[in-house]
Amino acid sequence: MDRKKLGAGVSLAALALGVASPADAAGTTAGSTIVNNVTVDYKVGGIAQNQLSASNSLVVDRKVNMTVAEVGNSTTTVSPGQTAAVTTLTVTNSSNATLDFGLVASNRSGGAAAHGGTDNFDVSNVKVYVDTNGNGSYDAGTDQQVDYLDQVAADAIVTVFVVADVPLGRSTGDVAGVRLTATAADGSTAGSQGATLTQTVGANSAAMDTVFADTAAGGNVAGDGIGFAEDDYTVLGANVTATKTSRVISDPISGTANPKAVPGASIEYCIAVANGSGSAAASNVVVTDLLPTQTTYDSSFGIKLNGTVTGATCNADGVAGGTFSSNAVSGTISSVAAGDTRTVVFRVTVN
Amino acid sequence: MQLITLVAAAALAPAAPQVVLTSHIAVERSVPGTAGKPVITYQEPRQVTPGDRLGFTLDYANRSARAAQNFVVTNPVPQGVAFVGDASPGALVSVDGGKSFGELAELKVRNAGDSLRRAVAADVTHIRWTFERPIAPGEHGELRFEAVVK
Repeated sequence: MDRKKLGAGVSLAALALGVASPADAAGTTAGSTIVNNVTVDYKVGGIAQNQLSASNSLVVDRKVNMTVAEVGNSTTTVSPGQTAAVTTLTVTNSSNATLDFGLVASNRSGGAAAHGGTDNFDVSNVKVYVDTNGNGSYDAGTDQQVDYLDQVAADAIVTVFVVADVPLGRSTGDVAGVRLTATAADGSTAGSQGATLTQTVGANSAAMDTVFADTAAGGNVAGDGIGFAEDDYTVLGANVTATKTSRVISDPISGTANPKAVPGASIEYCIAVANGSGSAAASNVVVTDLLPTQTTYDSSFGIKLNGTVTGATCNADGVAGGTFSSNAVSGTISSVAAGDTRTVVFRVTVN
Repeated sequence: MQLITLVAAAALAPAAPQVVLTSHIAVERSVPGTAGKPVITYQEPRQVTPGDRLGFTLDYANRSARAAQNFVVTNPVPQGVAFVGDASPGALVSVDGGKSFGELAELKVRNAGDSLRRAVAADVTHIRWTFERPIAPGEHGELRFEAVVK
């Protein structure tokens, strides 16, 4: 027996218009009640009867999920000794409820770092800042240091900075990995960190329960209410070597033809500062050289800075500068680029 | 002279059996079955979160002595769920808040830019079953539809 033979006569015009409403990715807000109301109209003996109805409801529970991700897909390049070096990450609340997130930044201990290389040092003075002015970059003094994110709305994405100091004595290619961990916490109270969330065990309660739906993506642990991601700092240092050479310019007997280093001879010293290829530029290179006691500084020649080299030869293209005092020549080369060599050149007379 | 006393007798007949409705919401859960293959079961709602699939059922029974004619069951799709297209046969749907009903495949929806597109299950606002044939005394049945928590 077919109880429900419904005819085509019931369908109406093919064109019935409605407007689609998009749903939040996080979903129906936790704690909302879904209410289903069914109504039935019918007649008996041709007379319309009182409408019947039935109703059920259930409470949508809190589905906790979050994603921590690093921004930029690349390491942060740092110099040895650099302070307040920044790496940027985001925390996304994909739960269906407003939550707080406790934040902890920690150093990796060895192993493969986020962007290649092996973690082999720790950064120090590690702090976490939230992007208070929302401009995507760290602004010291404006962006607030935090240990939790307050009341992150469902589907909201918050930018966070891990800021740390790089120790001296590291070489190009050294890597320090850092991890940012976000722990889901109750977000009901503004201005203070809520209690860390726990999953509701046992049967559904009439109130809002909590379910951990975070996944194992990105090496995380599924269903623990915690998300993390890693980023790293890679050192780019300068690889500076200094080489001192000398040549006899002239002597009183031979002049400039095959001069010898006899008393009265003019000797030219060249200190060549070389920076290895693939390095950071070395800037403000201060070269100081104490003259040997048997020589006298040639002040008419002076000190020539920032000259170049051709092979083993120091070219005569430096610019006057530097100082001579207390029997020492001192000059500053403003910058030696990677793969380049710059010189400090001066002359003395053999006593 | 006879005194005729009229007494208005309120005939308190026992309450006549009527058409009875019982409604239910169940959550679809996948449980491990025999031979390791997961089996879909419907359970009492428990920790229901966005993405869960719900089954809404209405059991009707005509417990009266008379046929129930022009029986029309109307179910607005609740806030917070999206209809997914599984409804008992004979269902017609509305995408305009219950003003008109038709087969989903024939309905259209207006986009934000004023163009029309085919309606999809998620656009449905109401589901309705209209019985052409009366429901006889003693007859009972079940109507159901499925929706996903948004």
